[in-house]
Amino acid sequence: MKSAWLTCWLAWPRPPLAAAPREPVVAKAATQRISFSGPQARALWQPRLERLGEAALAIELEMVRRKHIAATVLWTGYDGIEALTERVRAIGLEARPIKASLGYAADWSQDASIDEPKRLLDYAFLIGAAPLDAAMADPAAEDMAETAIRFGYPACCAESWANHLRRGGSDPLARVLAREDKTAVPAHTALAVLGLGPVRHAPCSTDCSATRDRSRPFLDLGRELGFVEEMSWLEEIAGWTVGASLVNGVAEITTAAFRCTWLSDEGPSQPRLAAPARRPEKRKAAAIELVDSAHVLAELGTGFESAGFASPFAMRSRFSAVVWEQTAALRRATTAVHIGCGDGLLLELIAQTKPKLRLYGTEEDTAAAEAARQRLGASFPVLGGTSTDVFAVLSRLAPEGIDLAFVDPEQLGDRDALAAISAIARSIIVIGTDRSLRRFRDIDNLAATMGLALLPGRAARVSATLSPAMDRLH
Amino acid sequence: MTVEVRPLGDKCNIKCRYCYQEGIRTAGNVPTRYDLDAIIATLDRLGEPFSLFGGEIMMTRRSDLERLMQLGFDRHGGVGMQTNGTLIEERDIELFRKYRVRIGISIDGSGPLNDARWAGSLAATRRATARIEAAIETLCREGMPPNVIVTLNRMNAAPGRLDVLCDWIGFLGSLGVRKLRLHLLEQDETEGGEGLALTAQENLVALRRLRRLEQELPSVEFDIFTEMAAMLGGDDARTSCVFHACDPYATRAVVGVESDGRLGNCGRTNKDGVTHLRASREAFERQLSLYRTPQADGGCQGCRFFLACKGNCPGTAIGGDWRMRSIDCPVWFGLFEDIETELLASGEIAISRSELRPDLEAKMIAAWSIGDNPTLHSLLQPADST
Repeated sequence: MKSAWLTCWLAWPRPPLAAAPREPVVAKAATQRISFSGPQARALWQPRLERLGEAALAIELEMVRRKHIAATVLWTGYDGIEALTERVRAIGLEARPIKASLGYAADWSQDASIDEPKRLLDYAFLIGAAPLDAAMADPAAEDMAETAIRFGYPACCAESWANHLRRGGSDPLARVLAREDKTAVPAHTALAVLGLGPVRHAPCSTDCSATRDRSRPFLDLGRELGFVEEMSWLEEIAGWTVGASLVNGVAEITTAAFRCTWLSDEGPSQPRLAAPARRPEKRKAAAIELVDSAHVLAELGTGFESAGFASPFAMRSRFSAVVWEQTAALRRATTAVHIGCGDGLLLELIAQTKPKLRLYGTEEDTAAAEAARQRLGASFPVLGGTSTDVFAVLSRLAPEGIDLAFVDPEQLGDRDALAAISAIARSIIVIGTDRSLRRFRDIDNLAATMGLALLPGRAARVSATLSPAMDRLH
Repeated sequence: MTVEVRPLGDKCNIKCRYCYQEGIRTAGNVPTRYDLDAIIATLDRLGEPFSLFGGEIMMTRRSDLERLMQLGFDRHGGVGMQTNGTLIEERDIELFRKYRVRIGISIDGSGPLNDARWAGSLAATRRATARIEAAIETLCREGMPPNVIVTLNRMNAAPGRLDVLCDWIGFLGSLGVRKLRLHLLEQDETEGGEGLALTAQENLVALRRLRRLEQELPSVEFDIFTEMAAMLGGDDARTSCVFHACDPYATRAVVGVESDGRLGNCGRTNKDGVTHLRASREAFERQLSLYRTPQADGGCQGCRFFLACKGNCPGTAIGGDWRMRSIDCPVWFGLFEDIETELLASGEIAISRSELRPDLEAKMIAAWSIGDNPTLHSLLQPADST
């Protein structure tokens, strides 16, 4: 894993590596990317992973110096070569370049350019005791397993890894995930891809006891070198539940703290989770009832033409806007009436906004009044008949008067009707229909033409309150 | 790149049955407070125009919302805002005008057509829908017509309802709405969403009908069709994120500025209730894999529309696994075929049928391999000149 705080990073697994480079021919495309599960996880684990990376590097170099393993492989960018070679020389080791690969465009330094292609490359170095034979990291068909053992592989893992390389594979985790046994992948095995240890070789199976045994010296050496806290984190990680999957050559490891992914070279494989990822329980929602389009159209609103609208959508939208504009008035009111309520749509929308409001409708057209009763139910009186009769009934039903009366002044016909409404309603709300707004351009012109005075409001409104000066029209 | 400011993350006042953010909310991963100064500091650092987003952005305290609007206006001449429209009030209209807020409103249709955008009960849902319809009409009348996002589902685009939806869109056009974004339903987090999705064939029928409608309604534009034609023409400078090789670990097209100012990813790929932070580096494993993976295994190998589609949004991937191509592939494929046929008939270029396609694909794969993601337009320039 490369990061900003290190100028070099460990490859996983240790050699021998595949002869053929991974596809695509860029090492970085096959390196891991981490995405933390949240700011707290990042605050805790990003610095820990950084320190674990530093510790792993130091432990690995010490293992080479003590000849526990024959050598190891480090990667660095061009600018890190000098620091890397100086560091390994300082502990009596040698660094030999063995491979170069085009780096990631996002990581190219600003001064890197096509004139200096060397700065666009990442370099792999074999690190070991002098004299160092660079060929030892190359895959050799004959003694690959033996080479692996020299790099610290247990015999079972060496043989298994060699066989995998001979078959053209190169990704140790992909090999583990492709196995038929579906036992959980231990966290140390799954997260070995990050190059943090303690598993530094390609294990032959998820439950390889030799692999577990090889982890112990890594942890012990880390403590000996002073990385006590870091090694305790590694031991904590061992208890993590991880998900590991390989789908169409893209691997992904998920933990509670982060997820990471990389492009593998291995073929399609079905997802396999060490433990099923915890998905939130699905929220139960009410059952969906689908009614046919005729019902939908009826619900949208009928009788729109006689109400002065171009479409049921226009009527519903306008009435919705009226309710929206009159939110404050409705909040204060306890009773309201829609004069000429048609199929009751406006009353229904008002009831949805303020269910406790006592609502009345009046409608001369018998069919429309019936449609309104069906829409609104029995608790909302819809009064039929002529306006004179209706207002008399309304006065009896609401002897204390009505707070709000919604009217389309064009439908009222004359000022007498408006005066009658004014006699029983404390406030009159004028509604602009498509027909009236087309004719009068806006609600102010509509009112002015009809000799009505409105309370001031937005120019683009579709409803307005009649001025108190008009309260008693006689 | 779209910068989405999300002070309250995925917090929302309604519970759309199909919402892709529902997993995050169910898991309880919704911030209860935010640090406006940290958010503004991040916006200063990014220096990009931004949109106010959610969850539901209108749940943000108005004074803070105004501060963000003013910042967008002062720095970039305006600000985008995506809302469900239910919380817009009279006083907000002047704010929108003052700070040149470009509003996008999500609604699936008038009245019962919008019932999938559930608000807890049928009455509450209808009340919310009425408020959205009121907001759209009011904004249009105020000379600020919103863009409208419509998610196609069984409530609004089932075969028996499609004509009603089309008539409603015609009405929106008459009100002054000019742009509509069409989404296919992403069904993964709520049982309530089950049964709402149209089949691929129904989606295709609906989109083809809406495409014809676009030709009948010259004032209304569905940006998805325009963008698909642009992608086939190799003109991808202004097309949306689903066509741009999205990396779910570090979404380039959508960058979220979260409640504490940190950068987040687009939430469409968060299937496990976790809002993962952006990875430090963008990469294109998904596209590299899809290109080489047979279609039978969930890849795009051999698809002539790959350069235009790139497997589409990882949030819609088969089985909810971002590594697979979009489950809506048959729908996009059918539409690309339609548009390709029309482009060729009118003598225009379709890269899907161009002899340049193999070369373009090779260049794109090479670029993705080193973490670069060039536009098709840029790749076509040198090819054209040779």
